[in-house]
Amino acid sequence: MLKNVFGGSTEQKVIDDIRKHIYTLSSAADCFRKGLEEWDKDHMYCVSDLEREGDSIRREIISTIYEGAFLPFLRTNICRYVEIVDEAFDVLKDAAFEFNYLGPGLEEEIREDCIRIAGINKEMCEMLAIAFDTLFNKGDLREKTLAIRIYEKKVDDIKFELISKLRKKEVKDFWEGRILSDFIAYLTHISDVIEDASDYLHIMNLSMR
Amino acid sequence: MKVDEIMTKKLETIEADASIYDAIERMIDKRIRSLLVKPRDEHDVYGVITVRDIVFKVLGKNLNLNTTKVGEITSKPLVCIDKGMDVEYAVNLMTKFNITRLFICDGKEIRGIISLLDVMSCELIKRAREGHGA
Repeated sequence: MLKNVFGGSTEQKVIDDIRKHIYTLSSAADCFRKGLEEWDKDHMYCVSDLEREGDSIRREIISTIYEGAFLPFLRTNICRYVEIVDEAFDVLKDAAFEFNYLGPGLEEEIREDCIRIAGINKEMCEMLAIAFDTLFNKGDLREKTLAIRIYEKKVDDIKFELISKLRKKEVKDFWEGRILSDFIAYLTHISDVIEDASDYLHIMNLSMR
Repeated sequence: MKVDEIMTKKLETIEADASIYDAIERMIDKRIRSLLVKPRDEHDVYGVITVRDIVFKVLGKNLNLNTTKVGEITSKPLVCIDKGMDVEYAVNLMTKFNITRLFICDGKEIRGIISLLDVMSCELIKRAREGHGA
């Protein structure tokens, strides 16, 4: 739909960059999952590398928009959407940062739940990319945003279990407890941010009708 | 898609001689609608108790929640399928037996459970991904 109405070259550049932005987020989420699965702290550095790349794509998108891409009433929503995706990058980077300070390992049950959440986060990023593409073809955006909400609900369910497990865990040291708590909080917040981004896609879709 | 890809691995169990009140408390605390009932002895088998059983067989008949035992209303044996089966097969089985959840087994071990909600979520995600390789 967007393509027919805004076929200009600057608009197309913004669209391509937004797509690139989401795919970079998806790569970062995948990298995070692999790092967690292999418990490899060195592997996690790719998350901050990709976050920096995401930052530069975001700056590029915002600059192009303010150079005149898209009608003024659309610009705010597109910029807000890009900012939300950028927030997902930040939360992912924060989770990766906390991971570096976690001890040598977590209890198997907690680790398994964290890996499951990281896997769902990655699938949510892929679904966000699919939902974004739906803006330009005849697909059903509602179906894609519902899938994102289903994923978010799954993360919520695991988070509920995870928190009850953590509450039973003995904390021997303040920083050990604080780092684990922050790590889980960031890890489980990513899905909320992606859900917010998908809600903004819906708003963008409505504003273009 | 295979059933073990969408199953819930977390299984909440309860003793057969626990009270219905205990079962209700556990279901509310864990936000779940069924509990796996442990066998009484080595000759017994696992069973399941659901919210539906509690409403129809206990609350509906005004039985005492504290004195009625879980074992009295447990459904046995469990309807199990192998972890490598397709979701489609699971749906057919649910339709055939008019049940809303199936247990996923690996030999004699119970590995997880799938409910109608899991099947519905899986199907919706599959539809949303249709035509996209991701």
